[in-house]
Amino acid sequence: MTAAEPRAALYLQALGGADNIEDIEPCTTRLRSLVHDPSRVDSAALRELGAFGVMINGRVVQVVVGPDVDVVASEIDDLL
Amino acid sequence: MPSDEDAQQASHKYLKVRDYLVQLTTDELGVGDPIPSERALTQRFGVSRMTIRHAIDSLVSEGLLEKIQGRGTFVSAPRMDFEVRLSTFGEQMHRLGLTASTTVLESGAVAAPAEVASVLGISPGSQVHHLRRQRHADGKPMAVEEAWIPVKLAPALFDDGPPASLYEALRLHGHDPRWGEETLAADSPTDEERHLLDMGGRGAVLRATRRTHADSGAVMFSRACFRGDRYQVWVPLAPPQTPVTPSGATATTTTSKEDS
Repeated sequence: MTAAEPRAALYLQALGGADNIEDIEPCTTRLRSLVHDPSRVDSAALRELGAFGVMINGRVVQVVVGPDVDVVASEIDDLL
Repeated sequence: MPSDEDAQQASHKYLKVRDYLVQLTTDELGVGDPIPSERALTQRFGVSRMTIRHAIDSLVSEGLLEKIQGRGTFVSAPRMDFEVRLSTFGEQMHRLGLTASTTVLESGAVAAPAEVASVLGISPGSQVHHLRRQRHADGKPMAVEEAWIPVKLAPALFDDGPPASLYEALRLHGHDPRWGEETLAADSPTDEERHLLDMGGRGAVLRATRRTHADSGAVMFSRACFRGDRYQVWVPLAPPQTPVTPSGATATTTTSKEDS
């Protein structure tokens, strides 16, 4: 495995770590993830990473990333 | 039992009238043509005036027909495809071959309302350029739009009066709109919106709420309210991407993890 992209690792950490993720996918401008425990998601940290918004609805977390989301998602994919 | 049968027969008659009107408007009549009178339709189908009205009203609310007070019911212009992309009203009308015009309702710098401030990531009460406009296509009101832009992003944005195109003005001030997000919702118009959109007594509107981003971040928050009977939302569909699951959704991932 190649060295982890720092950005993806930080996003993953803010989402509660790899073991908190049930699934994750890019959705045009958003990173959409189903997590096991939404209380482990750190919205403030995600915003500091450059997210433009974080919506948590039940176990679904949507992070507004912008057009870069495909890149971020594939970097996260590499880490999972 | 008899009431069930009656109801069934009534709905059958209603559908017959409706189908006839749909076929007539799509195949035989042109935009702006009147449909046959209620009296003529009553005689032709041997049904009550109420059934005829019911059928006409359903097509009016679908936007196929339009009622003009004191004149009758006419075939309306086809709905416009609502563009799901980062374009402006003027650009959309141009692509549809229509002439866009604008009536400015409000313009100036105001203290940002709480929702606007939160969406734009600025402190509540800080100054924002505010513009509220009535938008027309070929002279007919189509939408009421309202937009907010932080003053500190472009203090001189409104110096020559409200810009004709906010996106163009943002470009000129170095904040090219790059991407955005929009939510669409059906709603009832307020009395003022109903009046501004020339909607008569009934009908729904389509509300579009948008945040526009430049490379520098969120630059504009806007709300638009479109006539529900003149628009339809066209959305291209592609199969969903397969979500990634850490436990290994795909065989290759699982294998490589087990191998290592």
